[in-house]
Parts: sequence; structure tokens; C-alpha cells
Amino acid sequence: MSNAMKFLVVDDFSTMRRIVKGLLNELGYSDVTEADDGNTALPLLRNGSFDFLITDWNMPGMPGLELLKAVRGDPKLAKLPVLMLTAEAKREQIVEAAQAGVSGYVIKPFTAATLKEKIDKILASRAAA
Amino acid sequence: MPPDNTLSERYRSHVDELASALEANDAVAFRGAFDRLRGELNVELNPELKRITVSAQDALRRFREQARLEVLADQEVPDARRRLAHVVKLTEEAAHRTLDLVEQSSPLVDRMSNDAASLLEEWGLHGSRQLAVSTLWPERACENLERSLRDAELVRRYLSQMLLAQGYQDLSGQIINAVIRLVIELETMLAQLVALADSGDTRRMPVLKLDAAAEEALQSRGAGPKVPGVAESVYVDGQDDIDALLASVAGGPR
Repeated sequence: MSNAMKFLVVDDFSTMRRIVKGLLNELGYSDVTEADDGNTALPLLRNGSFDFLITDWNMPGMPGLELLKAVRGDPKLAKLPVLMLTAEAKREQIVEAAQAGVSGYVIKPFTAATLKEKIDKILASRAAA
Repeated sequence: MPPDNTLSERYRSHVDELASALEANDAVAFRGAFDRLRGELNVELNPELKRITVSAQDALRRFREQARLEVLADQEVPDARRRLAHVVKLTEEAAHRTLDLVEQSSPLVDRMSNDAASLLEEWGLHGSRQLAVSTLWPERACENLERSLRDAELVRRYLSQMLLAQGYQDLSGQIINAVIRLVIELETMLAQLVALADSGDTRRMPVLKLDAAAEEALQSRGAGPKVPGVAESVYVDGQDDIDALLASVAGGPR
């Protein structure tokens, strides 16, 4: 079942998208789509039946926080698991993301183990809910 | 053209002063009166120059008063230095990390390759010349395969770590972009200063200012990676700190 999960990875740095995609592949998730910004991501999400969103914060067109808010504000997407994977590490930002409904938050630099742990944790709490 | 009586009002006293000095043969008084008359003429006959003088003085005063200038000098430029130094450190560490992993992987791959080659050679000799292969060949082959399995697993792990090590590009890219934005701002200020020195007319200065919408967009972009020595107190300490913070927010993560 985990192999069938559809991931969307959003980051304006192509190297980071490749790294996350590589790590997801290692974890057994082969269906990984990339987007370079919130603006390109949103239509993909709306049309795409994705199961999991991993997004950066600091992006030029639509930053991750706004993407999160747009997702939570759309009835079709509101329940989508959203993991923020970002260098933004100020306390007030993390609180802001939590209040906007983020499912998990990982700061860069991160380890493969942390990424796996957070994904598993989010999926587990979804399954339990 | 100013009407006649205005001309007379303006210059009467200067001309009178000049005439008196001339009459009295007072060179010093004459030169003084002459300079004042010339000054008045310059200003009055060239209203543009008067406006520019006032405008330049005003602009210079406003320039000095700009709080932004102080913030740039005292905080943002030193921060920029620390940020760029951090980038150098990040890239160096990432390069060394990757090289370490390459060095750790190479001998494993070499061993796998050499062991396989020697076993195959022995098998090949047996096959081509009908030599009896050593009775221990199957055991050795088994041992070799098991070791190769372990080595391959190690190499896979090293490759995964090499993948992660490339994360420096994103972090250093974000830091460098922030410094570029600072440089643009400094560039604008310098251009304004140069224009001020040149013409004294601040209205004709090239303005590289970002419009309000772009300014706001920049604000919501975020602050970028934590850099040692730059506003450290507002940052979390690590992933555990974050988990605690998330849990403490009313309702927690969804």
C-alpha cells in the first residue's frame, strides 16, 4: 500500500527536490511528483489526487505557508497530510505553521531517519483518526 | 521677467552699497558688496539653482536621517559577512563529507570486484582446462557472496548519505540570495548618493526601489537558514525543540 502513495514535493531548489525524491524512493515510495513553487503546486494538487505533500517555505511565487493555507482552505484538499521541510527555523514561524494546520515540520539540514520518522508518524495518526 | 519695481527692490540696496564703497574708495567693502550682488543675481536669475540647492540640502538631511542606513551599516552588512562565511563553511563541509563517503566506498567496491574476479578466474580455469576446481571453491564463493552482500549494503548507505550531503546547495543558495537582495539595496543607496553629488537634484535619481507589492512578497518569503552569530535567539535548537513547539501549539499538528 505504501508503494502506491502519491507524493508531491515542492521546493524552488531543484537539488533539494532530487534529494527528497531520492530519499522517498529509498523508503519505498516510487510515485513522486515535483513542483518548483506553490503556484505550480496548487493546480497539480487540485487535479491530482495526491496522498502526501512535502513543501519548502521560502519560495519566490507562493511561499510554503501560503500553499499550506490554500490547501487547508480548500474543502477538497483540507485533510491532505502536509509536511514542511525547510530551513526556516524561527520559533514564531513554526508556531505560525502549526496554527495554519501543518501536519509535521522538519528543518534543514535533516537526516533520512528524521524524514522517515515524521512521515510514518503523520501516516500513523491519519490511520488512527 | 520680474517687473521693474521688483528688480529695483531687490538690487537697490546692493547697488547703493556698491556705489558707496566705490565713492569711499573702500576696496574691501566694494568686493563684499560685489559678491553679495552677484550672489543675489545668481539666485534670482536662476530659480532652478535655488530650488536645487534647497532640494539637495533637504535630500541630504533626509538621507542622513534614514534609519535604514544605520541598520544597514550596523547590522545587515556585518550579518552579510557572517552569512557568506557560513556559506563557505557549508560548501567545504559538504565537499569533505562527500569525499569521505567516496573514500569509504571505493575499497569496498574494489574488494567486491577483486574477490569476484579471482573466484571467476579459478572457475574459468576449471572450465577451460578441465582442471579440478579446489574443493573449497563453493565455500569460498558463498563467503564471498555474503561479504559482497554486506559491502553492497554499506555502499548503498554511503550513497544515501552522499545524496543528503548535497543539501548544502539549497541552504547556501538561500543565504546567497538574501545577500544579493542586500547588495541591490546598497546599490540603490549608492546610486542616490552619487546622483546627489552630481546634480544635487534628487528627483532625477535612478530609483531601483522595489515597489510595495514586491517588498511585501519579500517579507513573506522567510528569513532563510540559521547562520551562526546572526540573531540566534529566535531560532529553535533542533528537531526535538520543534516537536515540542508543535505539540505545545493549541490543538497540535493536524
